[in-house]
Amino acid sequence: MALVVWITLGVALWHFTVFVPDRFKGGIIGAFLAAVAGAVVSGAAWQIAQGDSLGQTDLATFVAAIPGCLVALAIAYAVGSRRSDALAGHYGDA
Amino acid sequence: MGSRRANITIVMLILALLAASVYVIATKPTKLGLDLSGGIQLIYEGEPSADNPTVDREDIDRTIELLRDRVDAFGVSEPEIAPLGETQIQVGLPDVQDTQRAIEQVGDTAKLYFYDLEPNVVPLDPKVEEVTPENLTQQATTSLYNAVELASKQNTKCNDVCTTTGPQLYLFEKGSREYVAGPESSERDLFSTDAAKAVPKEDRKVLTVPQGTIVVQDQQDDPEATPRYFVLRDRPALSGDDIENPEQSFDQNNAPNVTFDFTDEGRAAFERITRNIAQRGFESLGAPYSFAIVLDGDIVSRPVIDYQENPDGIDGRTGAQISGGFTVQQAQDLATFLKIGALPINLELVSQSTVSPTLGQQALDDGLKAGLIGLLIVSIFFLLYYRFLGAIAILGLAVYAAFFLAIMKLIPITLTLPGIAGLILTIGVAADSNVVVFERIKEEARKGHSMISSITTGYKRGIGTIIDANVITLLTAFILFGLATAGVKGFAFTLGIGTIVSLLTAVVFTRAVLGLLGRSRILRSPAFLGAGEQRVRWHFDFAGASRWFFSISGLILVVGALSFATNQLNFGIDFESGTKIETALAEPVSVDDVRNSLADAGVADVDAVKVQSVENPDFGANVFQIQGTIAPDEVGEVQRQLSSDFGFEGGGEGGFQSQSVGPTFGEQIARSAGYAIAFSLLLIAAYVAFRFEPKYAIPVMIAVIHDILITAGVYSLVGREVTSGTVAAFLTILGYSLYDTIIVFDRVRENVPRLPRATFSQIANRSLSEVLTRSLITGLSTVFLIGTILIFGGETLSDFAFAMMVGVLSGTYSSIFIASPVLIAWKEREPAYQARAARIREQMGRVPAFPEENEVALVGGEPAAAERDGGNGRPVAPESPPPAAASAPRDDGNGAEPAEEPEADAVSAEETDDAAVSERERRLAARRRRQAQRRKHGRNR
Repeated sequence: MALVVWITLGVALWHFTVFVPDRFKGGIIGAFLAAVAGAVVSGAAWQIAQGDSLGQTDLATFVAAIPGCLVALAIAYAVGSRRSDALAGHYGDA
Repeated sequence: MGSRRANITIVMLILALLAASVYVIATKPTKLGLDLSGGIQLIYEGEPSADNPTVDREDIDRTIELLRDRVDAFGVSEPEIAPLGETQIQVGLPDVQDTQRAIEQVGDTAKLYFYDLEPNVVPLDPKVEEVTPENLTQQATTSLYNAVELASKQNTKCNDVCTTTGPQLYLFEKGSREYVAGPESSERDLFSTDAAKAVPKEDRKVLTVPQGTIVVQDQQDDPEATPRYFVLRDRPALSGDDIENPEQSFDQNNAPNVTFDFTDEGRAAFERITRNIAQRGFESLGAPYSFAIVLDGDIVSRPVIDYQENPDGIDGRTGAQISGGFTVQQAQDLATFLKIGALPINLELVSQSTVSPTLGQQALDDGLKAGLIGLLIVSIFFLLYYRFLGAIAILGLAVYAAFFLAIMKLIPITLTLPGIAGLILTIGVAADSNVVVFERIKEEARKGHSMISSITTGYKRGIGTIIDANVITLLTAFILFGLATAGVKGFAFTLGIGTIVSLLTAVVFTRAVLGLLGRSRILRSPAFLGAGEQRVRWHFDFAGASRWFFSISGLILVVGALSFATNQLNFGIDFESGTKIETALAEPVSVDDVRNSLADAGVADVDAVKVQSVENPDFGANVFQIQGTIAPDEVGEVQRQLSSDFGFEGGGEGGFQSQSVGPTFGEQIARSAGYAIAFSLLLIAAYVAFRFEPKYAIPVMIAVIHDILITAGVYSLVGREVTSGTVAAFLTILGYSLYDTIIVFDRVRENVPRLPRATFSQIANRSLSEVLTRSLITGLSTVFLIGTILIFGGETLSDFAFAMMVGVLSGTYSSIFIASPVLIAWKEREPAYQARAARIREQMGRVPAFPEENEVALVGGEPAAAERDGGNGRPVAPESPPPAAASAPRDDGNGAEPAEEPEADAVSAEETDDAAVSERERRLAARRRRQAQRRKHGRNR
């Protein structure tokens, strides 16, 4: 059940990425994968640290997935932006 | 349109099939499932026995043959016995209501063994050197714990004659030494029951009895007496395979017994064993020694061998008898079991359900009523919206219903409740095929084309979409059928057959009928076909507004995730295991009375069982619902106890309905549902990638995930029970959501080569505007159908309908507002579309929402046709001569986009030709209108 919470949260937060320019690595799909993966990794790390099973969920299960999701999205954005800038620079130089 | 002769042939063929269908419907009976007719369903897990250390398909097939013989011998009509997966067997017994008797008749393994008793008894007291007839009874203990503990200390090995496959595990409560579970061959099986799981780890005492030693319950004539147990060395002298011709008979005291003969081998072995026993008696000159007949782990008889009467043992030619304090019924059953033979494997009851005929009939009535009302509402809606075309669609639906019913009776398909749900859904699918085509026809008619031309083009352009969408539904049905459990299988089969039949009736038949009527006066009026002036023309920037729709979905999902975390999902007994009983008692009693009755039936931890009085006037006046951890094989005892204490409504056993799922089976249902969803997604993604292009597959998957999570979130929020029916609904949502998205994407795919200068968002906006009406109509038709199930379908179907209602609304929404924007965002990153957008932005300072708003396409102050969107301000199409291939349909279905160059002038010949054809069609249409006007005015003059 915890896995469902994290995936749902990841998918939910991904929906709000439309408010920032599409500079994610892999575009909107890259952002989707990053959001879900980040939420799952972060949530699972918390759950393991707490010694809870995957069946146990509470508010903390939900909250624990948020930082991972946001960090993963930030990384995907940063990587994507750097690549876009590099490409722009390359074409600009040319 | 095909030739008139071809259309006549098709219509005649369909009419002939229709006549045959009516004949089949009138003459063949409908096979009703247990959930509609009433009866008992038992699901067994095959487990290894001494003869079969591993269970394979051959063992299951052999067991099924034996079970069929048993059930036939007991006189049950039309039993359904079939394998379920690799190691399970499903037994359906229509019209049977006595659960306990059904369990006894079907599932007893009937393993019969003969033991030379005294030499094989392990003495309780280690000081006893030899067990004799005189001290035999002192070696039996009333404490199972003591017996098992003693057995566990034996250092025995098996010499190929044991009756067990390996060590046997027992679970006791450490402090009280109370028996909890066993014997089982593994810890996993030992702790599979709720009772075993409920024992805290520190209170568990697991004892392991080595192979070669067994614990058996002694024979006792008084069923109320405290049971006694012997520890035996597992060295049987004979088995059930060594006997023949078992018959129920009566002994000299007129008590029921079972007599039998021996086979040649058995006779020799029997003589040998009884001679040994007699000789032992002679040597001791005391009380005679005995042998034990052990049936399924219990001593059912232990006759003594009188060494004075039979000094050389008993001649096996006269046969033998088992007299164990049987009732006539028990003796008859045992004789039947022995006659048919022991089952080659052990069977563990993992699920049982008993359906009352009263409630079954009620469910059937509700389901049919819901179907008919749904059909009526959709028909009225079609008539109002599509008028004459609607009447043709209704005709198609009527033919569809007749074909489907005939096929169902011919195969025959067992009609179940989930099957009825599948049937109703296929009506929606059949209706949608018409909607897709009719919307196309209307589009063509509004362009000024003749009705014949519109119908031809409508069908030609619609058929690719319909096939794609129906293949998706078929794939879902196929996967469901292959992976899901029994109830869902019925739904999947119905859905699959219905989809194929609907293709025949909704496309082939209606097309032929319209083809025949194409030149008739009735089809000359666009208004009569519902193709008059378009009142609503969608012009909405779907791509631009997508962020707001994304926000709405995001918020709903956040709430859903919160609800999953705090409320979780309310899984029904299908997944969590347990038992749900609904019983209509003959007399008014209190909840406590029912609870006491449960305790008398041997239900452990009665206080944890939920008992409540419920209102169900159709079932009876005193209806109770009982829910808790009652094992499937205990339900029969509960039924008997309730019947004996209070009686059931109507006198018989009809006032009892139950569903019981063992823990392993619940896990299996959940696992198979997970596999079904995962496989469906993968297979359908592969199909979409193949038919369209790989980039189209990902948004489709995201939309499906969105819909399933939203539906599950709503379930979590409102706390509705998730049953196996809900899983079927989830999988149908998956199919529906994909179906809807495919239809939207199909239009995008079609428009891509037609708009060679437009950005992808403009193409998508145009496409979405074109298909929105169709999506709304299909969504509305399906909502009508599901709404009728929800309102009129009764309790069982309403679960299914609720999930479907949320899923269909979400599916319709997501195909437009989630899948399409994701596709837009991803495709817009492609260099070709980036170049188009950059060019338009450079010329206009912005990218308009629709291709016809591009400044570069303005001709004479009016927006030019999108096809003239040359991208550099120059009209490209009119000057291009139309080549011969220009009339070929655009939707060739391979999903491949033409290779594009970002340069403005690099328009492929194919694209230009298409634009030219459209322009020519428009001019021709305008010319026809002018001619028609001139004729009209001429007549007026």
